[in-house]
Amino acid sequence: MKVLVKVIGPLIYKTGFSEKDFDLPAKTTVAELVVLIGIPAERPRIITRNGKAVLPDETIEDGDKIAVSPIYSGG
Amino acid sequence: MNGWTGNILRVNLSSKTHKKETFTEEFAQKWVGGRGFAVKTLYDELKPGIDPLGPENKFIVALGPISGIPAPNTGKAVVAAKSPLTGFYGDGNLGTRAAEHLRKAGYDMLIVEGVADRPTMLYIEDDKVEFFPAEEVWGKGTFACNEWIYAKYGKGVGVLNIGQGGENLNRCAVVRSLEGRAGGRPGIGAVMGSKKLKAIVVKGTRPIPQADPAGMKAAGSGDLKRVGQIDKETGWSIQSTTGVLPFCNEVGGLPVRNFRKTHHPLAWQVDGERCNNARVATYGCPTCTMRCGVTVRDHEGHESELDYENVALLGPNLEIFDIPQMASLNYLCDDYGLDTMSTGCNLSFYADAIDHGVVAGDFKFGDAERAKELLRMAAHREGKVGNLLAEGSLRMAREFGHGSEAYAMQVKGLEVAAYNCKFIPGQALAFGVAPIGAHHREAWIITFEIRNTTRESYGPEKAAKVIELQRIRGGLFEFIVSCRFPWIENGWPLDHYPKYFNLATGLNWGLDDMWKVGDRIYSMIKLHYLREFPQASREDDYPPRVWFDPANADTEGPIAGKHLELDKYDGLLQHYYDQRGYDRRGIPTKATLHSLGLDAEAAVAAKYAKLTD
Repeated sequence: MKVLVKVIGPLIYKTGFSEKDFDLPAKTTVAELVVLIGIPAERPRIITRNGKAVLPDETIEDGDKIAVSPIYSGG
Repeated sequence: MNGWTGNILRVNLSSKTHKKETFTEEFAQKWVGGRGFAVKTLYDELKPGIDPLGPENKFIVALGPISGIPAPNTGKAVVAAKSPLTGFYGDGNLGTRAAEHLRKAGYDMLIVEGVADRPTMLYIEDDKVEFFPAEEVWGKGTFACNEWIYAKYGKGVGVLNIGQGGENLNRCAVVRSLEGRAGGRPGIGAVMGSKKLKAIVVKGTRPIPQADPAGMKAAGSGDLKRVGQIDKETGWSIQSTTGVLPFCNEVGGLPVRNFRKTHHPLAWQVDGERCNNARVATYGCPTCTMRCGVTVRDHEGHESELDYENVALLGPNLEIFDIPQMASLNYLCDDYGLDTMSTGCNLSFYADAIDHGVVAGDFKFGDAERAKELLRMAAHREGKVGNLLAEGSLRMAREFGHGSEAYAMQVKGLEVAAYNCKFIPGQALAFGVAPIGAHHREAWIITFEIRNTTRESYGPEKAAKVIELQRIRGGLFEFIVSCRFPWIENGWPLDHYPKYFNLATGLNWGLDDMWKVGDRIYSMIKLHYLREFPQASREDDYPPRVWFDPANADTEGPIAGKHLELDKYDGLLQHYYDQRGYDRRGIPTKATLHSLGLDAEAAVAAKYAKLTD
């Protein structure tokens, strides 16, 4: 399935990209995707699917846009 | 008394006199410093109803017990006065070498009274106070003023100054210090201008009194390095606050087109990655090891220091997606000494009002060249349009009429910071109950709200989170006077701050003691408000009405069809009041004021408006 992954802030220097299309196996979870793109498991982050927060064990769907961001605190 | 110098410097510009006053340990422990000192002093010394731009207003620079001591991010000062923008207590903080120098000169607070008979620079060196003519730089920008001062005294002195915005009484004028540093969003720079005070230069040479200097040196210096190391690990300062822009764009929280839209396909052109790629320099405040000033060049070659707020409000909010153009607007704000946030909102409101046909004009969203011209006119109060823009969005809306107040993006007269809360109820509350108007400094709960709660909810947990953050951000960091960034952005533990405080003062306070001081200060700001506006109502704590308007809901994207709901927001507001111990108008009850040791201040307020038991 096709998924667009957006990485935000300094996390892009961990993943090496800020936006990229991925072809993932069906039933890939959010947590599995985060490991796949190289973000350390201990790194606090907020993950959204099409602009809405998702939990790590949720399954990604074909056509989703997944964004991974550090926990910002509003300056 | 350790931790505090115990001294206030009071300067009168009318009589060109000054005196050194002392304060008691009881005052120090009740109000601690910074915002606490300022709010108490202005409450006691200003009569309600005075003209904020008249001779009776007072301009204050207030410091805290760890100001000037080498520890993480202590190079900050609070500037305060009765606000010409909002009509009651207003303040702000800014990074400046003046913080350390004022403390080393022997003062915890500077109070400036009266009006000079000519443009003046105030020079303070320990016990010496001098008044110098400043006609040479009156009419010039803050960068030229800085150069003039550096040529006289070198770059090591502390400087606070204003640009043409402050001189011409633009109600959104700020106080400026170093490159890119500004504070006092509610027009505190205009108060300096009304006093013909172009600049304050400070040089201090004496040690700051501390209970345990060796312990403080060991803890402070080590922690400065550790904060820097943590920042290297997280990479936060590579993009600094500009990194948050794509997050806001992703979740429908970015201000676009006067907050009409919450995201934009071109926002990536001004995001943190692109700002960092365009970086030519990095600026920071004194005693900072995670410097946040991403500095780029505009098309004219000026260096312009960016953060998220000015990028969002002078960029996407005006539908400008070109970094050098947006940087030009930011540079001009810095040079004229105008608040970037309010200026962005004023310009976007003007374009929106023209768009809606409530006023005739030639400014359109996306027109960066005209925006620069309007900004210059606002700073100089040039012509009818320049004068209108210099008044702030609420006064502009009252002039325009036709319901335009609904989309003047302000609360209590202070323009909203760069978070579009069309469908973020808890953050809308944070703006609504921010005590000086819609400042993001007091509480920011967007990540919590989206990740840890149901976004649609208006439950008491959101009010509790706003209060928790107000106590830390608007309380602790504003009265101890230190930058909140090590904690909020890089997770530096909060319990370090009582440790620094105790090493400085010899006291044994914990965070609970700090929260009580914060609550006291918030209640005092509310009493200021009540005294100036005896008809205060809970509707004063509502955010801009356009966020409640179904016709304003996004038509596509992550929050399509969503908007705030007024009755539910009112319920959330009541949760906040109940948890705070405020009455239905949002004013602390007598019992709350008593619990905070504010009986005397309550008695003063009761002469102007009834307090609730």
